[in-house]
Amino acid sequence: MTCLHIWKRLNSVVKIGTLVLVSTVSIFAQNSSSTKSVSPKDYPWTTFNGDYSGRRYSPLTQINRANAKSLKLAWAFQTHSVPLKSTPLEVDGILYFTVPNQVWAVDAKTGQQIWEFRRTSEGDDIGQRGVAFYKDRIYFGTPDAHFFCLDARNGKKIWELTIADVKFGYYISVAPLAIRGLIVLGTSGDSTNVPHFVEALDWETGKIVWRTSTVPKPGTPEARTWPNDAAMSHGGGPSWLTGTYDPELNLIYLGTGNPHPVLAGNVRPGNNLYTCSILALHADTGAIAWYFQASPHDTHDWDAVETPVLFDAAWKGKPRKLLAQASRNGYFFVLDRITGKNLLTVPYVPVNWAKGIGSNGSPIPNPAKSPQPDGALIGQSEDGGTDWMAPSFSPETGLFYVNAWHGYSIWYLNSDVADPSAEHQGGGSVALVAKSVLLALDYRTGEIRWQKQSGNGLSSASILTTASHLLFTADGFGNLLALDSSNGNVLWHTRPGGILNDAAPMTYQLDGTQYIVTGVDGVMYAWSLTGSL
Amino acid sequence: MSHRQQFYLVVFFAFTVNLMAQTDAVKNENAQRGKAKFQQSCAMCHGSEALGGMGPNLIQSSLTRHDENGDLIAPVIQQGRIEKGMPAFPLMTSADISDIVVFLHARIDAASLSSSNGLAGGYSLKQLLTGDASRGKRYFDGSGRCIRCHSASGDLAAIAKKYSPADLEARFLYPPDDNITATVSLPSGQKFQGKLLHLDAFYVAIRNDEDGWYRSWPLQKVKVEVKDPLAGHLELLGQYSDKDIHDLFAYLETLK
Repeated sequence: MTCLHIWKRLNSVVKIGTLVLVSTVSIFAQNSSSTKSVSPKDYPWTTFNGDYSGRRYSPLTQINRANAKSLKLAWAFQTHSVPLKSTPLEVDGILYFTVPNQVWAVDAKTGQQIWEFRRTSEGDDIGQRGVAFYKDRIYFGTPDAHFFCLDARNGKKIWELTIADVKFGYYISVAPLAIRGLIVLGTSGDSTNVPHFVEALDWETGKIVWRTSTVPKPGTPEARTWPNDAAMSHGGGPSWLTGTYDPELNLIYLGTGNPHPVLAGNVRPGNNLYTCSILALHADTGAIAWYFQASPHDTHDWDAVETPVLFDAAWKGKPRKLLAQASRNGYFFVLDRITGKNLLTVPYVPVNWAKGIGSNGSPIPNPAKSPQPDGALIGQSEDGGTDWMAPSFSPETGLFYVNAWHGYSIWYLNSDVADPSAEHQGGGSVALVAKSVLLALDYRTGEIRWQKQSGNGLSSASILTTASHLLFTADGFGNLLALDSSNGNVLWHTRPGGILNDAAPMTYQLDGTQYIVTGVDGVMYAWSLTGSL
Repeated sequence: MSHRQQFYLVVFFAFTVNLMAQTDAVKNENAQRGKAKFQQSCAMCHGSEALGGMGPNLIQSSLTRHDENGDLIAPVIQQGRIEKGMPAFPLMTSADISDIVVFLHARIDAASLSSSNGLAGGYSLKQLLTGDASRGKRYFDGSGRCIRCHSASGDLAAIAKKYSPADLEARFLYPPDDNITATVSLPSGQKFQGKLLHLDAFYVAIRNDEDGWYRSWPLQKVKVEVKDPLAGHLELLGQYSDKDIHDLFAYLETLK
């Protein structure tokens, strides 16, 4: 690349930076609802995404572009467990993180264990994304679809609920979201054709305040997007990731999973609402304020659960409340989050499953590219354009960062079974080849401003950006990385060993020291400029 | 799932497959017997695959799903649910009931695949063989330029005998072979060549062809030239129509 090209690119980044309006509304504020007094030198990470916005952007600046190369190991915490897939919370000097059926509280300055909660259960233990903290209590869900409230001081159980029936494949993988006395969670599951729901519990008693199904109520216009009520009642739409929240609008934003059966779309003609959609829910009632369907009639298991990231920025010259999602189906969407109106739909990876974009901004699936008895080639990885790994949005650069996948896969419809509606999959797919790439997208157009190859196969690290133009992530080559968020240049890297998939970098400041924390396999690592205490 | 995770899974399955095969065989036998008995006594109301008819769907039944070794199902069979129209079968033997229970649990398992990955059951050559073999041959020799590297009478002779239809299709689209090589040139002019083991922005590693030893270098000190023998397959993935694939598959299936 010539110097001129670099200059032009940097210049365009600077221009974006001047257009972005950094809002001061409480969407970006930290609110731990903790009862302990907090030093002004401290800055916590109080929800799955750090704050309600889902940007995974921290205003901390102690670690910056000039000194990032000096990052040292501050401590490591060995869980002796399965790989960590949770993002830790940091509240008042304590980190809280999980694997299925286990929670740890750890000293955020030293890695010393404070308490551990451990149980065993049946159910799917593929992932556990973390806890919620509210009024000195810890909340988390389990593989058998139970839900726990623990005392944050000592890990002792305060109450336990059964949310759904594990025998129908329900479990809870999402980190709950604490909102003004409500604990919001959703059900996961990918083995049985069952309906899913999102619900809000009273923080103190666990009593259900509201429950919203992710398929429509029979008799509503949206129900007509299913062939009949029976098909709809097996509909799907599970939760896999924590939603975001705008306190000013009092709206919760959630992505929903795919419809059931997963691949046999021929038994459920129609758009299959509210699967593969972004839902805006009234926080007090759970009523659906609006919805936007990312994948009408999905037949590739490409959930639209990826974080709906909230930011306030200029749109065609005017300040606007925006929501952006790099969806698993390969499209980057920007919506007005007050109304749900679609502002932008553009692919961020090569896409061949859709034949166009509808007037409402939803892609229109090409029936020929749904699974076929003799196979249909899809110009995307079997797992889509991205998945559960958290993206990030930096108001400094105006760039939306996502770890994306390029690839090819072939999809088959199982036409030999007696009743495809009874099968959960109804077909099969073969992953042919995949490569990973970190993309920096201009939120205004979806154009790629810079990209960085992350290796063959599916690298699935999450992303953190900070106000000092840093981007933390991992690649598929075994490296933890600190990059310059304006151009992708490597500022620091290290090889911590183990599987870096799911490493969800987060940051906090404690007693004047900024830490970066990353889970690698079963070990939690903390990095700082000063190293060990 | 990453390739590395897939590798671990393969290793895990290799260790456990022998142990599981025995139990599975017994289970399958019981399930087969159970299916026959179910169809004889139960299918009239519950459907031949237990998906419901006049009577309820037993795959979506809470009772079936919470049953453990017949503890819930057996009493219903023996005593019936007269108030709901389900007759009692007091003379059914416990062995027969046990087989029916195994069949019902097997049906739940079969319907509950949590991943679409791979072609699990039900895929036959008949389903895949929709293409035109002669057009496939023209594609192979012509626009596909497969003959740059392959020959129907050479490396691909009898290829259709070697792989199942589904495997053959996946393999010709993109073989699961890791045979990328690299030539590493040192500032001294010395060159090393071998299988590429690692290449990121920081270092390169190969297994040296000459002596079989692993070697690695910081990237800024060497020049690296990578050769990917699968590059042609990747190029074709960007060009194929689905018809091309079906035709090419039909042609390769003739190589027996």
